[in-house]
Amino acid sequence: MSSGKKRRLMTYGRRRQLYGWGFISLWFAGTVMFFLIPLIKSLWYSFNTVTIEPGRIKTEWAGTGKFVYAIEDPKFTDALSSTIAETIWKTPLILIFSMFIAVVLNQNFRGRSLARAVFFLPVIIVTGPVFKIISGDMDVTGSRSAEQFSTMMSTDLVDELMQFLGIYNISGKMSAVIGAVADNIFGIVWSSGIQILLFLAALQNIPPSAREAAMLDGATAWEYFWKITIPYLGPFILANFIFTVIDSFTSPMNRVMGRILNMKSEVLYGEASAMAWIYFAIILVMIGIVYRIISKFIYYEND
Amino acid sequence: MAKKKAGERTWSFFRFVILFGIGFIVLYPLIYMVSCAFRERSDMNDPTVMWLPRHYTLDIIRETWRIMDFGSTLKNTFFLNIGCSLVQVMSCAVTGYGFARFSFKGKRLLFGIVIMMILVPPQVISLPLYTQFRFFGIKGIFSVNLIDSMLTMYLPAMTANGIRSGLMILIFRQFFRGLPKELEDAACIDGCGPFMTFVRVMIPNAASAFLTVFLFSVVWYWNDYYVSTAFFTDTRTVATVLYDLDSRLSRALYGDSRIRPSARELIVWKEAGCLMSVLPILIMYVFLQKHFTEGIERSGLAS
Repeated sequence: MSSGKKRRLMTYGRRRQLYGWGFISLWFAGTVMFFLIPLIKSLWYSFNTVTIEPGRIKTEWAGTGKFVYAIEDPKFTDALSSTIAETIWKTPLILIFSMFIAVVLNQNFRGRSLARAVFFLPVIIVTGPVFKIISGDMDVTGSRSAEQFSTMMSTDLVDELMQFLGIYNISGKMSAVIGAVADNIFGIVWSSGIQILLFLAALQNIPPSAREAAMLDGATAWEYFWKITIPYLGPFILANFIFTVIDSFTSPMNRVMGRILNMKSEVLYGEASAMAWIYFAIILVMIGIVYRIISKFIYYEND
Repeated sequence: MAKKKAGERTWSFFRFVILFGIGFIVLYPLIYMVSCAFRERSDMNDPTVMWLPRHYTLDIIRETWRIMDFGSTLKNTFFLNIGCSLVQVMSCAVTGYGFARFSFKGKRLLFGIVIMMILVPPQVISLPLYTQFRFFGIKGIFSVNLIDSMLTMYLPAMTANGIRSGLMILIFRQFFRGLPKELEDAACIDGCGPFMTFVRVMIPNAASAFLTVFLFSVVWYWNDYYVSTAFFTDTRTVATVLYDLDSRLSRALYGDSRIRPSARELIVWKEAGCLMSVLPILIMYVFLQKHFTEGIERSGLAS
C-alpha cells in the first residue's frame, strides 16, 4: 500500500517534469536551431576565413587573424570606441533622468495620466528608423528652438530647483553633468520610456507603511528619497541598466552594428563575426562590473 | 504650515514647467512631422515659416506614398511583422509558463540560456543564421534556400526565438509566477490536464499581460529593420523602406539613386514618410495607451 502510494507520488513528480519539458520543448528546439548553433558557429567563424561555395560554406582556420584584422580596421575601432564611450556616459544619465521623472510622475497632480502618455510615447518610435531620421533632422534644422528650451531649462531652472531642494553648493562636476544632459536632452528623453515605466512600477510597490514610518520619524523628503526610495529601487536600477545597454544594440544609431552589416555585405564573414564578438565581450565585461558594484548596494526585501 | 503650502505651490509650478518642457521635447518631432508633411517644398527655404506652412498641399504625402509604394508595403508589414509578433507572443507565453510553474531537471541551465538570449546582441548570431537559412536542412541530405522567404522570420517567432523573445519569455515567467497556485489546483481537481489548465485558466487570467506583451511585440517588430534586412534581399516593410528612403527619393526625384542631395532638400518627403510610418502605431498607442503604461506595472515585471 505504502509502496504503491510512493510510486504514484514519484510518477506524479515525474509527470510534472515531463509536462514542464513539454511546455518548453518548442522553445528549446528553436533555441538550439536559431540561437545555440548560430552562436557557436559565429565563434567558429571568427577564427576562420569564410568563403561561400555553391551549396556550402567553406571555412579555413585563420587563428586570431580575424581579430587582428578587426582591431586594425580604423572604421571599426572608431565606431566601437565611440559607441562604448556613448554607452558609458549616456547610460547613467538615462538612469538618473528616468528615475527623476518617475518620482515626479508618481506624485498626484492634475493631468498626470496625460503626462504619462506623453512620456511613454517615445517607446513606440525609438527602436525604429524614424528615430534615426528625426534625430538627424534635429541636427540639420529645427533643433534651435528645442535647444534654446533645454538650455534655459538646465541652466536656470535646474539650478533654482536644486537650491529649492536645499542643495546650495553644486560642485563643478554636477553642473558639468547637467550641461551634458542639456546638450543631449533629446536623445536621453527619447531613450528613457521603458526605464521610466519600470521605475514607476517599482515606486508604486513601495509599501505605504514605509512612508508612514518615515513620516513618524520625522524624515524630510530628501531623507525619504535616499533612505527609502533608493533602496527600494535598487534592483530596478540594475534591471534598467541592463535594459539600457541591450537596447543600444539594436538602436539604428549604433555604428558598430552598421559596420558589421557592411562587412557582411562584403562577404567578409570571419571578420564580421570577430567584430561582433569583440563588441559582445566588451559589453559583457561592462555589465559584469556594474552588476558587481550595484549588487553590493542592493537591498532585497525577501532575502 | 503656511510655509509648507507655499513650498508645495512652488514645487507644483516647477513640476509643471519641467514636465511641460520635457513633454515638448518628446512631441516636438511629431509636430514637426505634421508641419512638414503638408507644406510645399518652397516653404522650407522661407525663414518666416516655422510651424505653420504658408502653402498647404497634399502633394508631398501623395508623392511619398508613391515612392514608398505604401499600400503594398503596409500589406507586407501586416503579414510579416504583425503576424510574427502575434505568433511570438503565443510561443513565448507557453515557454514562460513552462519555466514559471514546473520544476524539471536542467531548468536553471535552460533559464540561463534565456538570459543569454537577452544579452547576446543580434549582430553576433545574425551571420551564421544567414548561412543557416541559406542552406536550411540536414547536412549532406538536403537543403533549401529560405532567404527571401517569410519563414526566416516566422520560424524563429513560432519557436519563441524571434526579436527580443528572451525578454518576452522573462516577462511571462514573472507574470505566471505571480498567479496563485490555487488556480492550478482547482483546475486539476476539475480534471484539467496541464495544457488545458494553461488554455482555460491561465490565459484568461493573463489577458492584460498578453495585451501588454503583444503591444510591445508589435512595436518591436514594426520598427525592426535589422532582422528584416538581414534575411531578405528585397523585403519591403515599413521600417526597411523608410531606412532606405534616401536612395529611393534620389531615384524618384533625380533619376539616380547615387546622387546624395543635402538633407535639407529632402526633408519634407522624409518627414512625410516618417509621419506615414508612425501613424498606424501611433493610433494604436492612443487607443491602447492605458495598457502600455499600466500593463507593465501589473504584469509582474516589477518583481
